[in-house]
Amino acid sequence: MNDSTSSPKPAPAFRSIFPIYELLHPRQLTPWVIVSVALGLAAAWVSSMVWGTPLWVSTLIVLVAMVPVGIFKWADDKRRFGLTVMIISIMLIAQGTHTIEHLVQWVEYHILFFTPRQSNGLLSPANSEWVHFIWNWSVLITVTLLVTLGKVRNFWSFLLLGVAIGHTTEHSYALIRFLLVREQLDILCLTNTAQGLPGIIGRDGWLARSTTTEGTFVRDIPWLVNSIRLDVHFWWNAIEMSLSVAAAHFFLRGLNRPAAAGQPPVSAALPAANS
Amino acid sequence: MGARSWLLYVARLWAAGLLLAGCSGAGYIAPTPTAGAQVEVSIQSTALAQPDACENRFVERDLGVSNGVRIREITTYLSNGSGVAAADLNEDGLTDLVFARIDRGALILWNQGDFTFKEQDLHGEFARMVSAADVDGDGRIDLAFTTTGLQDVLYYHNEGGGVFKKSSLPGVTYRAHALAWGDLNGDGMLDLVSGSYNTDLRQHMTDMEALKQSTGIVYYEQSAAGFVAQRLQQEAETLSIGLVDLNGDHRPDIWAANDFLAHDRVWTLDGAAWKLLQPFGQTSYSTMSVEWGDLNNNGQTNLFSSDMAPYDISTYNMAIWLPVMDKLEERHDPADPQIMANVLQVPAAPGKWASQADRYSVAATGWSWSSRFGDLDNDGFLDLYVVNGMIAKNLFDHLPNYELIEENQAFRGTGQRRFMRAPQWGLNATASGRGMVMADLNLDGKLDIIINNLRASAVIYENQLCGGEALEVDLRWPGSKNPYAIGAQLELHTSAGVLRRDVRASGGYLSTDPARIHFGFALDAQLLELVVRWPDGALSRISAPQAHTLLQVTR
Repeated sequence: MNDSTSSPKPAPAFRSIFPIYELLHPRQLTPWVIVSVALGLAAAWVSSMVWGTPLWVSTLIVLVAMVPVGIFKWADDKRRFGLTVMIISIMLIAQGTHTIEHLVQWVEYHILFFTPRQSNGLLSPANSEWVHFIWNWSVLITVTLLVTLGKVRNFWSFLLLGVAIGHTTEHSYALIRFLLVREQLDILCLTNTAQGLPGIIGRDGWLARSTTTEGTFVRDIPWLVNSIRLDVHFWWNAIEMSLSVAAAHFFLRGLNRPAAAGQPPVSAALPAANS
Repeated sequence: MGARSWLLYVARLWAAGLLLAGCSGAGYIAPTPTAGAQVEVSIQSTALAQPDACENRFVERDLGVSNGVRIREITTYLSNGSGVAAADLNEDGLTDLVFARIDRGALILWNQGDFTFKEQDLHGEFARMVSAADVDGDGRIDLAFTTTGLQDVLYYHNEGGGVFKKSSLPGVTYRAHALAWGDLNGDGMLDLVSGSYNTDLRQHMTDMEALKQSTGIVYYEQSAAGFVAQRLQQEAETLSIGLVDLNGDHRPDIWAANDFLAHDRVWTLDGAAWKLLQPFGQTSYSTMSVEWGDLNNNGQTNLFSSDMAPYDISTYNMAIWLPVMDKLEERHDPADPQIMANVLQVPAAPGKWASQADRYSVAATGWSWSSRFGDLDNDGFLDLYVVNGMIAKNLFDHLPNYELIEENQAFRGTGQRRFMRAPQWGLNATASGRGMVMADLNLDGKLDIIINNLRASAVIYENQLCGGEALEVDLRWPGSKNPYAIGAQLELHTSAGVLRRDVRASGGYLSTDPARIHFGFALDAQLLELVVRWPDGALSRISAPQAHTLLQVTR
């Protein structure tokens, strides 16, 4: 996480009172972002119209089209602000995109009244247990590294770490059950999917069905025991995203803090990029 | 506002939400039956037998009555099985049993005492529901059956001396699957509510117009000349009908429970017309049976409906349920309050109910059929028993004998807005239960359980739980057209609280509860007063009834 340099160059402080905006802004890459989005949308449209590909393929095409400019953008973030801030930038954009997927699912279910199975969001094949398991472990590892090595330490980042642990536990439980149910289905020679089964929280989940929680206050908290899985994971992500923003905001704001007399500026603590 | 303040604010909001959720049951309280003319009654008190044994569990007794074993391959909707009725058919004080069967005729088991029965074949018709009620008010309980095919309701008039004569119910012409009897218009005669099961009928009928004309949920008003039909709605997949006072006016309303997409319906008599109500925020999707009772002895009626939802979330059980869950995916429609789970309604606001099945831990009891409340352990609080299981080649062809084997679910009522599973009672049988009733068959003050299993022998679970006391009540109203006082409401005031019951001629899934009322209470509870609100609103009060007795209260 730390870039070892013999004489670390102080990273420039953020000027805005909304440093996240400043961090995530494409800056000089703005035209390339626009071009990438336009090209991606055009390719997605062609794919959809000509080959009749499903929505998730179109979404994937747009995302892939954005990758090169994203790489340039994050490289620029690293050059300007250092590795830690670059990782924050990647996490915010990636987790934000992921949250949009959950938001679309939420809209499909609660506004458009699709069935749970139809409420697949924009990237339905990616809504698998394996993808979510890997994704959430990646988020947890990233947050852990930011807090420990990156010294992103504030109230919100510690809260984020706790929520990320909870969310990852939920997905680990879901993956283990998925694999065990899949094994049982194989024994029964059944081809049904075991994706999307309840986890720990929510309707038909462990908290709602276990004899351990029977007769306890847990059953009195409706959303813990009767939320559908789609809602459970929408809120996991919404909370995680909100905490990520808060943690990043206060960390980046801290970089602006003027140095006390005789102290180096806070931004000097930032590991800067090799230049 | 700092981070800590924000957290405190959120915590307060959350606590307020919890408080609101916790208090949501405080809206509607059924009025105590205090108004109404007082009527004198005579009391005949008989001591209940001392329990033979106390093993703190139920003991299974095989009745040797089979149902569905002759059918080589069971598919939907033969898989729905049939019901059982408990009633004192010969007025000897012992509750007799009547079994409807889908592959042979109905059978009466005359109770000889001490769990011995004398069998009597009643008829050769394959039947679904068995209904027991004194339809013509002659003082003897008659029997009515719905059938597996296209026949009209079969009516057997009780001639006395164990003789039942096939007769007819003039004017009862619509196809019927479920029946319920009650004096709905307050004229003193028992009226009938029937519901058809159209999905099953479509397998037998090719003329869809004829099907439309002959099906639905129907209210039959009885008069001296017969029955006058009023169809409440044509769409019907009715598996259970409850006649229960839902608005606290002491008059029974109609609660029709429907399978599949057809919504559960509630009607109340508004003047001379039946008015459709929508009191439920949530209902079961495939409602198999309905049940009601005051679970917390607080004057609030709680409503329960059973549905299909796995109680066991082990990976094996989830795997065997998955193919069916995939076929029956829950719809999501803002106008559709149905969910695929049991629902336990508590009053939330005047005229409105909200489900707290999760809080009570009864949201999932397997592929559930009949569900009954009863104070099984005589502690003063109603318990819940649900029978379950499914056999159908077209649904469970991945399982041996196409059978989903589940354990029946018993729950002990705590009186504190919770149920606790009670596997220690030994009621976790794995036979595929359908119709089920609770009745004290040996007059020892403890409710026994009778189950009409599919593709297995019917069984009795003899109650040998220890502790507690009981009072049982038979109401008699000779000279009226409702001699068993169907629809009467009873309150037993004790030092430990007020217990409430009502007299019914319907019950659970295709079955009929006995008219005899059972109150359980703790050994140290003092009985202060029994209040009877007769179906015409008149009141009778019996001071300090004796515990461990059977009271026959005659008006």
